[in-house]
Amino acid sequence: METVTLTIDGRPIAVPKGRTVLQAAIEAGISVPYYCYHPGISIDGSCRVCIVKIDKMPKLQTSCSTVCTDGMVVHTQAPDVVEARAGVFEFLLVNHPLDCPVCDKGGECPLQDFSYTFGPAESRMDFPRRVFDGEGVKADVDFGPTLMLNRNRCILCTRCVRFMKEIDGDAQIGIVDRGHGSEIATFQEQGVHSLLSGNLMDVCPVGAILTRDYRFKSRPWDNPAVVDTVCTFCSKGCNTSAWLKGKPEWAKGSRLIRMTPRYNPDVNGYWMCDIGRFNYHWIEGDQRLRRPMLRNGAALEPSAWHDVQSRLRDRLQAAGTTGTSAVQFLVSAHASVEEFFVLKQLLDGVLGNDGMAATTVTWTSSEKPQPDGAKLKVSKANAPNINGARDLGFHVGAGNEGAPDLSRLRAAVENGQVKAVYVIDPGPDGSLGDVSWLIAARQNGTLPLLVVQGVLMTELAAAADIVLAGAAYVEKDAMYVNDQGRLQAASLAVAPPGEALDDWRILVNLGRSLGLTLPYDSAEDVRRTLAAAMPGTPYAEADRQVFTRPVPARNWLQASNPSERWKWDFLYQDLPPVKGHSVQMEGIPAPIAVIPLKPVG
Amino acid sequence: MAYEPILTSQIDQPGSSTLDFYVQRRRGYEGLRKALTLQPNDLIEQVKASGLRGRGGAGFPTGLKWQFVLKDTPKPKYICCNADESEPGTFKDHVLMERNPHLLIEGCAISCYAIGAKVAYIYIRGEFYHVQQILEAEIEKAYKAGFLGKNILGTGFDCDVFVHRGAGAYEAGEETALIESLEGKRAQPRIKPPFPAVAGLYQCPTAVNNVETLCNVPLIVLNGPEWFSAIGPEKNGGPKLFCISGHVKKPGVYEAPMSTTLRELVYDYAGGMLDDRPFKAIIPGGSSVPLLLPDQLDTPASFDGVQKAGSLLGSAGLIVLNDTVCMVWLAMNLLHFYRHESCGKCTPCREGTNWLSQLLERIESGEGRPKDLDLLFGVSNNIVGKTLCAFGDAAATPVLSTMKLFRAEYEAHVREGRCTLPAEWRAKHPVFAGH
Repeated sequence: METVTLTIDGRPIAVPKGRTVLQAAIEAGISVPYYCYHPGISIDGSCRVCIVKIDKMPKLQTSCSTVCTDGMVVHTQAPDVVEARAGVFEFLLVNHPLDCPVCDKGGECPLQDFSYTFGPAESRMDFPRRVFDGEGVKADVDFGPTLMLNRNRCILCTRCVRFMKEIDGDAQIGIVDRGHGSEIATFQEQGVHSLLSGNLMDVCPVGAILTRDYRFKSRPWDNPAVVDTVCTFCSKGCNTSAWLKGKPEWAKGSRLIRMTPRYNPDVNGYWMCDIGRFNYHWIEGDQRLRRPMLRNGAALEPSAWHDVQSRLRDRLQAAGTTGTSAVQFLVSAHASVEEFFVLKQLLDGVLGNDGMAATTVTWTSSEKPQPDGAKLKVSKANAPNINGARDLGFHVGAGNEGAPDLSRLRAAVENGQVKAVYVIDPGPDGSLGDVSWLIAARQNGTLPLLVVQGVLMTELAAAADIVLAGAAYVEKDAMYVNDQGRLQAASLAVAPPGEALDDWRILVNLGRSLGLTLPYDSAEDVRRTLAAAMPGTPYAEADRQVFTRPVPARNWLQASNPSERWKWDFLYQDLPPVKGHSVQMEGIPAPIAVIPLKPVG
Repeated sequence: MAYEPILTSQIDQPGSSTLDFYVQRRRGYEGLRKALTLQPNDLIEQVKASGLRGRGGAGFPTGLKWQFVLKDTPKPKYICCNADESEPGTFKDHVLMERNPHLLIEGCAISCYAIGAKVAYIYIRGEFYHVQQILEAEIEKAYKAGFLGKNILGTGFDCDVFVHRGAGAYEAGEETALIESLEGKRAQPRIKPPFPAVAGLYQCPTAVNNVETLCNVPLIVLNGPEWFSAIGPEKNGGPKLFCISGHVKKPGVYEAPMSTTLRELVYDYAGGMLDDRPFKAIIPGGSSVPLLLPDQLDTPASFDGVQKAGSLLGSAGLIVLNDTVCMVWLAMNLLHFYRHESCGKCTPCREGTNWLSQLLERIESGEGRPKDLDLLFGVSNNIVGKTLCAFGDAAATPVLSTMKLFRAEYEAHVREGRCTLPAEWRAKHPVFAGH
């Protein structure tokens, strides 16, 4: 790769040809502020805060729009740069309401951070501020089904305008009016209607665009930990970050507070869709299964795992003696690679060569209408691991676009040939597709035994004889294979609730109770065996996948988004210690136990 | 005043805008006929040799601009004629298009041939409804006469000229904003580079030229570059239109060589000061340039001459001010304009023009505080040089220039808590009427 070498603040820096001065500075950890620049969208050059002095150029230049050349000498801290930059910051705050205490962006706001660092200590503005829709949070107006807009806070960086035009492919946001009356708007105030709308809160450098989901729910210092995970709502496998609340007792005990995209140039870039972003409440919702249950007459009763396991073994063994295909497995493609691998060993061990034939993998597909020009296309298949299931030998048909075929299983169940169906579904409600026939078969007695290993008290689980509480995708270290065939690791963010167990463990326990030797004590054991079993495939890397633990949020962008990493050095350095909950807090230094006293006299 | 007008010759004659008049009385389209016998590069060399400088405001050599237009590209090239004449005090292109439109049309065709374009767009100011009608009617006649369209004059050269009327934004006169507007977007400037010569209209190589500039092109081709450069001082050759407005007896558009002094323009061409009141100051180049004082009236009205005197010739819109003009009011008046016309794209201009306007209103109304003067100066300086296009500098100039030359008036306003130079005529024309 061709590189050029320039000097920024006396430091020689080599960057690939074509990089702008701002990108070079960011990558070298030199702080230059910016608002209209965003690495994922086009360059606008309008906010003017990234101005720097470049030798041999007559005026101060915007670093975002100046391409590095060999021998260029750049100054970001020269007195005239410092003064000019402070002047632009003063302008930016002339009409900004400074309602940081009630603004959801407060604490993670580039306008706040950079103004503190680069802006003047006080403003000379003494005229009333410009107001668009009212004062304070009353100025928050509807901006489509997922968003709220506060025009008073807007600094007109036009990142949202360019995001919609370039990434979403449908330029729904524009600027109306002119000059100091310019405002962000949509046609006839219709708001933003897009599958990618949530990204607008991420690109907005102030609290002007907020998601309804996160608005008023938390503050940055209340979500001190972040986990790298992978979204499992479709086969795209966007890399995401799960944010954890430090004081779950303030939020009905829930710890997941939001999902944000994590930069991966090969999968999702800087973006994720609204389905993955907003559809996480079920994980800690009221329908969540917290312990295994056994049917006692009309009711399902919570039971201890050892009781459940022995009942499960007995009933399955009883059913299994009636014929080779008497026990059938219905597995959601939300199951992870580890789970499919253990299940395969279980099936091979118990049913031999009939094992795979006794298993049906299922998922749903749906059209997600997006503009033709959309840069982030959401996949049709609503499951993360169809390719993983195929690679491990399960029958899933060709391609991710195909639909699962449940007709054979359904016919067998409705003909009374099947004595037991064992369902594995770590996904959200509905991820199995239409299973009303299965519920009906159990209720009218055609199917004598229904076992559901899942995470939610769905209608299917409510009809089951035995319910096994498993783990959802953020509750375990697990791997999924996306529609590019890419093996990705999703880390444990929150522990499974109550007595719920990791799904691979439930299957191992079942196998052992049936007399098999499944020598796994941890998910790593499973991955190690998998890696050894499939040399020469991407799975050979299974034991080297990196799973992270919750890390202090300040490390999050440092690790995942090199273009913004330095920004986070400013954040979270003086957080109060968080006590009394189960979130691991590795990496945050322990508070000083004793405050040294000043000598008196 | 021995100078015989060239660009504006016979414009007072009936039917001066028609094709017949142009062909019969003005040697119309002879320049095009001659140009099409030359190689495009020779044409560019001729324009370079003539020393023609852009008449829109910056005075950039036109031949050089054409030379910069990217040659080796499969993309089409374009001429954009900047007819978005919106600078306060400027009304010269209006006259040319209204009274001598074929000169512009011929200029467009020759320019297209010179840079290898096949299409010229005339981007006309939103308020010029009737000029658009005249232009379109005359363009149609030019098509019928074979001066535009396919195979012009049998030479195989094709050229189309289209008129596009803007939506009434001053900023659309900035060349990249003009291109954006022509593409159907908001009239907001682009970051440069890339310059229009490399990536202009539809990202294709484009030359953006002022109306008066293009009108001079047929004359250069017809009469030769030496003839052209001999009119007026060195490096400031050619006929020039001056728009004289303000406190003079005969405001209007006057054509003169650039060797003419400001004094001659004000006292000879425009008939002297209105009501023979004393001359106080002049804005020599449209509202965006620094003022000049009485002792600078003998400055030649050329690009270099006015620049040497500390201002800019700009669009040659001379705004003459007599002793009844309050300079705080003047700055407020102009800032009202700039606040209204700021496109809002970049921060210093969007926020700064509004702030300056508010400050000036406060001082002019007598509510000003002593610290407001430093604030005014500081805010203006925070705009200058920090904006995307030249608008920011233009907007701050009236404030900085009046504060530099007439600071005592500002101080008197603050000290006495009132406008110290009220004028009856101002009451009749309130600044903020209509907005």
